[in-house]
Amino acid sequence: MSSPPRRGLAPEAIVAGGVVVLLVALVAAVFVSGIGQNLYPPDAATSQAKDTRGLYDIVFALAIAIFLAVEGLIIWSIIRYRRKPGDDELPPQTHGNNLVEIIWTVIPTVIVLYLFAISYNTLNTVNAVSDAPDIRVHAVAMQFVWKFEYLDGSGNVMATQTVPYYATTSADCAQASMTNAGCGGMALPVGKKIQITLDSPDVIHAWYVPRFLFKRDVIPGQTNKFEFTIDPGDAGQAFRGQCAELCGTGHRTMLFTVLGLSSPDYDTWLKSLVEITNRTPPPVPSGAATLQLTAQNIQFDKTSLEAPANQPFVIDFKNMDPPGVMHNVQIRQSDGTTVIADQPTIDGGNEAQYQYQGLAPGTYEFICIVHPSIMHGTLTVP
Amino acid sequence: MATHVLTPATTAYRSGLYEWLTTTDHKKIGIMYVINSFLFFLIGGFFALGVRAELAQPGLQIFKDEHVYNEFFSIHATVMIFLFIIPMLAGLGNYIVPLQIGAPDMAFPRINALSFWMLPMGGILLLAGFLASGGAAAAGWTSYPPLSEVGPTKSPGSGQDLWILSIILIGTSSILGSINFLVTIFKMRAPGMTLFRMPIMVWTMLVTSVLVLMATPVITSALVMLFIDRNLGGTFFDPFHGGNAVLYQNVFWFYSHPAVYVMVLPAMGIVSEVLPVFSRKPLFGYKAFIFATAGIGALGFSVWAHHMFTTGQVFLPFFSLMTFLIAVPTGVKMFNWCFTMFRGKLTLSTPMIFAIGFLTMFLIGGINGAFSAAVPVDFALHDTYWVVAHLHYVLFGGSVFGVFAGLYYWFPKMTGRLLNEGLGKLHFVLMIVGFNLTFFPMHILGLEGMPRRIADYASDAGWNDLNLAASIGGFIIGISILPFIWNVFISLRTGAIAGDDPWEGNTLEWATSSPPPPYNFDRLPEIRSERPVFDARHPHLRHKPGELADEMGPA
Repeated sequence: MSSPPRRGLAPEAIVAGGVVVLLVALVAAVFVSGIGQNLYPPDAATSQAKDTRGLYDIVFALAIAIFLAVEGLIIWSIIRYRRKPGDDELPPQTHGNNLVEIIWTVIPTVIVLYLFAISYNTLNTVNAVSDAPDIRVHAVAMQFVWKFEYLDGSGNVMATQTVPYYATTSADCAQASMTNAGCGGMALPVGKKIQITLDSPDVIHAWYVPRFLFKRDVIPGQTNKFEFTIDPGDAGQAFRGQCAELCGTGHRTMLFTVLGLSSPDYDTWLKSLVEITNRTPPPVPSGAATLQLTAQNIQFDKTSLEAPANQPFVIDFKNMDPPGVMHNVQIRQSDGTTVIADQPTIDGGNEAQYQYQGLAPGTYEFICIVHPSIMHGTLTVP
Repeated sequence: MATHVLTPATTAYRSGLYEWLTTTDHKKIGIMYVINSFLFFLIGGFFALGVRAELAQPGLQIFKDEHVYNEFFSIHATVMIFLFIIPMLAGLGNYIVPLQIGAPDMAFPRINALSFWMLPMGGILLLAGFLASGGAAAAGWTSYPPLSEVGPTKSPGSGQDLWILSIILIGTSSILGSINFLVTIFKMRAPGMTLFRMPIMVWTMLVTSVLVLMATPVITSALVMLFIDRNLGGTFFDPFHGGNAVLYQNVFWFYSHPAVYVMVLPAMGIVSEVLPVFSRKPLFGYKAFIFATAGIGALGFSVWAHHMFTTGQVFLPFFSLMTFLIAVPTGVKMFNWCFTMFRGKLTLSTPMIFAIGFLTMFLIGGINGAFSAAVPVDFALHDTYWVVAHLHYVLFGGSVFGVFAGLYYWFPKMTGRLLNEGLGKLHFVLMIVGFNLTFFPMHILGLEGMPRRIADYASDAGWNDLNLAASIGGFIIGISILPFIWNVFISLRTGAIAGDDPWEGNTLEWATSSPPPPYNFDRLPEIRSERPVFDARHPHLRHKPGELADEMGPA
């Protein structure tokens, strides 16, 4: 305790102080240089996301302050309070101090209560659901497809968009265009109150769009509901979306896109989707060869099919699985790389007559795009 | 009292191996826990490196079959949590707790051996899944139904059943161990060792054991229900036949959130032993620290649903508030640790630098967890790599650094030899660099919307560089283990002789020989504070009135 005045203290303090200044400067440099921008979420695209972003900024500012204070104290102590070789004297044996214990209990309590209050406040706007939204979409997530049903004012389905069918190849999407519903995606008008209801027929999925700073689980047996309003400034933008809850081997493929469209563009888009949805399939040309194929228990009943060369043919496809299990038949090169013909997925309990153009002689692969790892077979064209 | 272990004349071993296989000595069992857990750490690390190797570049390179990738991350987490961190800390506790309270052994030595031997059995069951048709469990370590139920696109293989049985077995081991710890701590303390003179390590093991005892039966119930659903036609979690899918999550997290504290509290205990010794000061705020530990244990039971904010089935404000509040006792501990070093005289030996590594990294894990307590922010971050970053800053930056602090600190006591300091520091530097390179970028990836548990991400999503960095970091972590293994290998043969008390320790394990005799102590020093060995070394500092609240003043 009664150690003589230590002349070495001042330079040590300078070193320690220097390190702390360096730490602060480093953090400042990270932010000034723009790298620090990566520690913030991407630009918020909905009014709800903007509220969440405001909350994030406050939490982040407090986090950085606490981080710097505590790491600074640790680094200061490591540099400043070192045992010198041969120094056998004990430092003062401080056992504690009730006052500082109370201080560093009360101050963090106040901070977390403040954070709770503002996050509760934000939650009430982010989580709010109204009775009269402008647009209603019923999203069904299933292994491993998203189905978006656009509902009219009385809750009836006007049009259905199934992803990923249109995301692959589609006769309806000859040229990629934002306003063409045949090119896939889930279009929504900007500036409108949009309500999404979520259902799953199989396992738990999650609807997640990073730029909306929002996700919600899609739970079988329970309809979840949420609302958002896309920022009018984001008209014409496409937002990446993805299933965020592990849902099986095809989890990776459950991608979707949300298109923010101006109201006129959205109306055009929806009109074309309604047309595609209500279109009656063209009649089967007489004389075309018809192949039978059935899907049941997530299996095709055949592992090989044969079709005549260079003639249009039809696959009479029955989906015998329960509703909620979607299948289709896609024809690919035998190495699986190039898609030759694609068809819309159909729900369990339905059947479809898929028409295909004539194929050159050779060996091809047919798969269900929803269950590619278990449902595949060989199509031979002699 | 298990008096038979007090007999000093137990030298007539049949053979070394037979002795180890049949031992009921808490020290040998503790060492077997440590070795077994370390082997599973290497196995779990192998799976993690498989995951990182796949994610280094866009496209599927390693796992042509994504199901195998799902098996890898599922088994990685299961092994690391249930077969490495929890038993590693239980093993260190098994070795240290009886020594620190001046007891000759655990209260139930044979049950102690039983709870150890269940662990390798559980591990073999789990890994046997890779030999089963359909492969090992692949529904994540959380195994949420309906995905973990039977079905062609769900979890048809028996690997999932083996996973269930393995966790039930390991859980039973934990329950037996926790009862053993509680009885040992309450009934076998040496004279003078009052509750408020117990080392913090013992306190954290006490609170941990209460958590294990109360929470583990709950997850067992979830696993039994899942097993019935899968094998006997039950519908507990089948929403289309009267069940509820989210019910499993509630029951699962009622255990698995307290399990986080099971994995962190003993590591905190280790750090609270190491910091005072290498700062030459008592722990700042000993009693406040105990109350904070108990507070974390109690609050730990009221935050489980913060893992489920996005389900839409949770009363959000309550769990948000409790999750924020649990930061307070954790913060109290952090300040107490900092002020233990403040104005001390620090020696940066390997145990100390790992303890400081714990402080700096666990701090980040505490802070980035607070983001998810703010529910709207959690809506953005949940199930992204932000959460992967958070949990690794807690369980690796916290628990694993704490485990290594403990291994370096107690290795001389266990073996009688010191580990090499240079290799220890090399291990630390590689590990902390690799750790931050792996897990810090995951914050950014998570914010940008990269979801967890996916084998391949779009190459145009802008995540390639950070994923590559994380993969390089992962392999640096892998390499960092090599100097440690080499260090143990050479130090066992040629390491410097440690002596009874190489670090100038405070607690009773340093009052006996290294390694201690089978009955632990020839004689004990007087126990008048939480630092009996310090008191014996510095008799002039003893009996300072008012130092401790329960001091009776000068004798």
